[in-house]
Amino acid sequence: MLSSFGITVSTISLLLSLSLLYLSYYDLKLSNNKISKKIYKFAFSQILFTFLSFITLIIAYVISDFSLINVYENSHTTKPLFYKISGAWGNHEGSLLLWINILVLFSFLFLILNKDKNKNFKLYTIIFQNLLISSFLIFLLTNSNPFSLLYPTPTEGMGLNPILQDPALAIHPPLLYLGFVGSSIYFSIALAALITKVDSKSLALTIKPWVSVSWTFQTLGILVGSIWAYYELGWGGFWFWDPVENSSLMPWFLMTALLHSVLVLERRIGLYSWVIILSILTFTMSVVGTFLVRSGILNSVHTFANDPSRGLFILSFLALMVFSSIFIFFKHAPVENKNYKIFSKESFILINNWFMVFFLAVVLIGTLYPVFLDTLTGQKISVGPPYYNFILAPFLLPLLFLMTSGPKHKWISSNVIGIFNIALFTSIILFFLIFLSIKEGGLLLLLILLFSMYLITQTTFDFYETFKNKNINLSRIISHFGFGLLILSISLNQIFSVEKSFNVRLGDEKNFQNYTIKFNNLETFSKNNFKSVKGHFEIIDKKKITSQNLTPEIRVYNKPETITYEASINTKLFSDTYLTMSNISNTDVFNIKFQKKPFMNFIWFSVLLISFGGILQFSRFEKRA
Amino acid sequence: MRILSFIIIQLFIITISYGNESKTYEILKNLRCLVCQGQTISDSNSDFALTIKEVVTEKVNEGLSRKEIYYFLSDKYGDWILFNTPLKKNSYFLWFMPYILFILGGAILYIVIKKRTEKIK
Repeated sequence: MLSSFGITVSTISLLLSLSLLYLSYYDLKLSNNKISKKIYKFAFSQILFTFLSFITLIIAYVISDFSLINVYENSHTTKPLFYKISGAWGNHEGSLLLWINILVLFSFLFLILNKDKNKNFKLYTIIFQNLLISSFLIFLLTNSNPFSLLYPTPTEGMGLNPILQDPALAIHPPLLYLGFVGSSIYFSIALAALITKVDSKSLALTIKPWVSVSWTFQTLGILVGSIWAYYELGWGGFWFWDPVENSSLMPWFLMTALLHSVLVLERRIGLYSWVIILSILTFTMSVVGTFLVRSGILNSVHTFANDPSRGLFILSFLALMVFSSIFIFFKHAPVENKNYKIFSKESFILINNWFMVFFLAVVLIGTLYPVFLDTLTGQKISVGPPYYNFILAPFLLPLLFLMTSGPKHKWISSNVIGIFNIALFTSIILFFLIFLSIKEGGLLLLLILLFSMYLITQTTFDFYETFKNKNINLSRIISHFGFGLLILSISLNQIFSVEKSFNVRLGDEKNFQNYTIKFNNLETFSKNNFKSVKGHFEIIDKKKITSQNLTPEIRVYNKPETITYEASINTKLFSDTYLTMSNISNTDVFNIKFQKKPFMNFIWFSVLLISFGGILQFSRFEKRA
Repeated sequence: MRILSFIIIQLFIITISYGNESKTYEILKNLRCLVCQGQTISDSNSDFALTIKEVVTEKVNEGLSRKEIYYFLSDKYGDWILFNTPLKKNSYFLWFMPYILFILGGAILYIVIKKRTEKIK
């Protein structure tokens, strides 16, 4: 029943989307300067029906309606309610429906929030947005239908992969999609602006809030994904330069570049074409990311069950999108009025863009090169963290430096002496304090420490300034401070991490450095959907004379049958203690991995700060508008 | 010259580790677990990973250098096992393209800024 209802509702939303295309196109030719009421009505029904289709899918998951193949393949009656709901988007078809919902949501919000904008500009945006919506709906209905019927109806489902049954992972996709798909709206706006020849100021003002919003969500989505990887995957890291992680980072670089250059476009006339190119590229990159993840051409921890026909659709869609964008761009390419002065801020923002595009290029090459090499020559190589660290780390130095001084400098009147200020002095002192406690670490890492410290102290001083001068951009200060703190915490984390693994039997006691680890007890129990072996360990820090109990687990889930290794993490303000345990087959010996992970909280907190800057940026805009 | 090369080496080493054990850890972190999905040997609990862990520990204790161990493993399992992509003919593009792009980008930026500044004069 839900199957046919779901299909009907999504078909209606496709029809509504096509009607919107027709109506908007028709409305373009009318001479009145208000968008016709009909379009609003249709847009409203469109969002209603699209939401309804998503709710239908969620209901199917909640009541475990296994007559839907999608529910059968990804759910199970014994699963907790929360994960039944989040399971709705924990698979390809369901997440595609979520993707479409967000496309429609942004399209609708754009329509109702921009009442005073140029009529044709708005109409073209709606047209482009609905072209995207209808293509994805067609893809959904023909190739990846979450409502497909399964007959005869099975009595039990296959279950959701247990590592996906996690609160962080339940909100990770929606957050990331708000970022990814949020970029669709400025893709459409940019194309519409080209055709209707909107002036740079209104282009900037129109896309700015959308860029801030999508950038903030993208940042938060990446953060939640990293936190999940940290405690769920059990290796104590939070970023592996995994191809799928990379595909969330690539649009982020472009959004960051856009976030900066929009500022220039708003205040000074310039960068018009560049902002349009960036807007187009950002959404393109998002679709590329989706293609890479869904087509299964990449080997990654994130891989869904994949299917080449999906890849083929996304690839053709991508090709069509890119070529038509290029066509529209060159057909309507704006003549840049270059007769204006380049100001200090503008140059620095262009330098920011240079770095962001460079980072994007590195990540793109690192992600795709092995795929191309394999296809062309059959040689398989791996590109992992060492590559990215080696290439990217040196470039952090100029980036950190420019983030510190860039926003404060004047292009022509800048002087070298201005750099040696009190902030630099303070950071050097702080740096030496840290340096004294570091026993190892290469020169580059030390320099990164110093430069991030400089950024932190300088932005702290700037923050103090904002109390006196209300015109200073607080969101910039907070995000830049957050970035400085992020790099500092990651570097310190890198330097002070401790890792040690042992083979132990019950009752063993191991000593190393100033820690003692005791294996006190082993407990087995079973829960609704898994059986567990839980080790009780006591970790004694002989230097600080403290002890803590950690209980890593090995879980055997029954649906689907999977073994997971649950890390036990004791989080303190400055340092996490991280313990995982695995069994060695056919013995009573366990392998345990003990890790000290300093400054993890600071890493998470700094990313929160970075995205908080994005929220502030948005509220600033609201005030001014 | 010696000082210069020391500085250059220092620049590109993120952490200097010492001792056999940390050397083993570092190597294990740079190896792909071939039977897993994008995991390192160090993070994996699969039988394959356990075997490789033992092999690497053995080789480190025998006194082989990092390079020799990587070479030994890639000889046996192919370059696919190395997350630490070796610089070879097939990876020149990978290793050098970023720098070329960075310089190219810088050049374009320089030209754009210069052109615009000149127009004002």
